[in-house]
Amino acid sequence: MIKTLFIAVISSLFVATSSMALDRSPSAEGAELYFISPKSGETISGPVTVIFGLKGMGVAPAGTDKENTGHHHLLINTGLPALDLPVPADDQHKHFGKGQTQTTIELPSGKHTLQLLLGNHIHVPHNPVVASDVIEITVK
Amino acid sequence: MNYRVTIAAALVVAAGALAACSNNPIEAVKEAVKSDSASVPGLPRSSSAEGARLAILSPGDGDVISGPVTIVFGLEGMGVAPAGIDIENTGHHHLIINAGMPEMSLPIPADDNYKHFGGGQTETTMELPAGEHTLQLLLGNYLHVPHDPPVASEVITITVK
Ligand SMILES: [Cu+2]
Ligand SMILES: [Cu+2]
Repeated sequence: MIKTLFIAVISSLFVATSSMALDRSPSAEGAELYFISPKSGETISGPVTVIFGLKGMGVAPAGTDKENTGHHHLLINTGLPALDLPVPADDQHKHFGKGQTQTTIELPSGKHTLQLLLGNHIHVPHNPVVASDVIEITVK
Repeated sequence: MNYRVTIAAALVVAAGALAACSNNPIEAVKEAVKSDSASVPGLPRSSSAEGARLAILSPGDGDVISGPVTIVFGLEGMGVAPAGIDIENTGHHHLIINAGMPEMSLPIPADDNYKHFGGGQTETTMELPAGEHTLQLLLGNYLHVPHDPPVASEVITITVK
C-alpha cells in the first residue's frame, strides 16, 4: 500500500518534471518584472495605461523561441495560473503576444489587482517564474 | 546579377549572427553594404505602425544623476522583437548617446554612440562619464535598419555627477 503510493508519487513527479522540461523555458538569473505605471495604491480616472517593466531579460513576440526572452501577460483581479500550462486567455489574463510593452485598458470603477507574468514562446511561464508584485489600483 | 538579393542575404546572415553573439557582425553588415553602395536604396526597411511612439521613460530631460544611469525605454503602438526576427510592427531598441540620427537607409552603426538592444531588452543600466550627455532612442527592424517612417524619441539631456 505504502509502496504503491510511493511509486505513484514518484511517477507523478517524473511526469511533472518531464512535461516542464518540454514546455517551460529557463528564466535569466535575477530577471525582474515590475509595473513602471501605475503604482500600487494609485487612484485613476478614465482608461488605465499600464506600462510593463522588465529587467534582465528581453521581449519577443509569441511564437519566437529565443533564449532569455518572453512576452508579457497582464493578470487582472486573479492569482497566478498553473505554471506548467499556457497562460489562459480571457478577461482576467491578457496576452501581449506582439511584443507590446504597454497597454491602455478600460476598467470598471472600483478596486482592481494587477500582476504581470512573463510567458515563453508558447505562453508557458518561465522556470523559475518571472512575475511582478501584485498591485492594487482604484478606478474612479 | 541581383546585388539586392545578395546583400539582403548577407544582411540576414549578419543579423542572425548578431542575435547569436554581439557586436562585430554589424561590421559584416557594413561590409556587405559597402561592397555595392549602388544598391543601398534597396535595403529592406520595415514600415512602422501609424502613431507609433518611442519615449525615454526614465531618466527625465534635465535630470542630474550620480552613479550608473538606468534608462527605461517606452514604446507605444508597436512591439519589441529581438534582432533577426522579422515580424510586422515590431523592432528593437537602439540608444543613441551624444550623437545624431544615423543614416536612415543603412543598419544603425554599432559603437559607443549607438547601442543595440537586439536581445529585446526594454531597459539598460550603464556607466557614463561625468558631464552632460544627450540620449535618444531609435527603433530598428530585424536588420537594424530604422523603420519607415522612423520611430525615434525626443532627445533628452542629462548630467552625470
Ligand atoms: Cu501569451
Ligand atoms: Cu540593432
